[in-house]
Amino acid sequence: MQDISLHLLDIIENSVRAKARNIWIIITILEPENLLRIIIKDDGFGMDNETLQAAQDPFYTSKTERLKKVGLGIPLFKENAERCAGSFKIESVVSKGTVLTAEFAYDHIDRMPLGMISDTILTAVLGHEQIDLHLKLQHCKIDGSCLDFKFSTELVKKELGDIPLSYPDVITFLDEMLKEGIKNTEMEEN
Amino acid sequence: MKTLEELRKIREKAQNEMKLRESNYRFKVVVGMGTSGIATGAREVMKAILDEIAARNLTGIIVTQTGEKGLSSMEPVVDVIENDKPAVTYGNIDPEKARRIVAEHLVNNRIVQDYLVTTTS
Repeated sequence: MQDISLHLLDIIENSVRAKARNIWIIITILEPENLLRIIIKDDGFGMDNETLQAAQDPFYTSKTERLKKVGLGIPLFKENAERCAGSFKIESVVSKGTVLTAEFAYDHIDRMPLGMISDTILTAVLGHEQIDLHLKLQHCKIDGSCLDFKFSTELVKKELGDIPLSYPDVITFLDEMLKEGIKNTEMEEN
Repeated sequence: MKTLEELRKIREKAQNEMKLRESNYRFKVVVGMGTSGIATGAREVMKAILDEIAARNLTGIIVTQTGEKGLSSMEPVVDVIENDKPAVTYGNIDPEKARRIVAEHLVNNRIVQDYLVTTTS
């Protein structure tokens, strides 16, 4: 994975497979604390302790079908966070959901770029119309001022009624709304 | 600044168009978005498809994503399913190839033989 936004998409796919109805994504940059924090929370079917431990092992996968024998998504993300003086944590409760928290030292030389957060959110939202995705971005500067952006598919779907998200004008609207909102937080997008 | 007000206008426009059409959708496009798919550019492929749909103003297409399909060596993988016909699977797709699939398969209803993996689902 080249950047954090791709890891994010990968983790979102895990939540989808866990039959989540809602996924909350909270990305926070706290410059005074030199911290970049990514939280991904879902209300999927969760994991017991044993599965939770195993999920962080590269040679584990929950998939039983086909020939797939490894699951690298979580271990790779974990390694990337820990390499940047950060931390990585997954908490899960069976039939309640899962919370994944990854922290990075914001100015660490090895920290991956955030990447195109807007593309990750757009593809996840369009790719899983049945799921509601809630995004919250906060960027607090060194002088203590904070820039926010919130986005939720719940409100969008309410406005659209029975019109699908894949309707051409809606795709353009969502793309522009996300790009604009993220730009306003002055988070990097590249 | 984008506001939800705009969505209301889009909804009205879409509802008027929908009245003219019979079925909900004609093509379903499925992008493989497992770990290896993402690592080889599946998100960019999906974005290219969405951009083409918006630019060409194509309705009647749903784009969705799925996990690994056991075709890791051919990622990114894209399936095109027309109503109840068997899935057409394309492999080693990049954004440019994805745009060609939209133009040839979804618009002109011609399978792109060059990228074909299999026609059985």
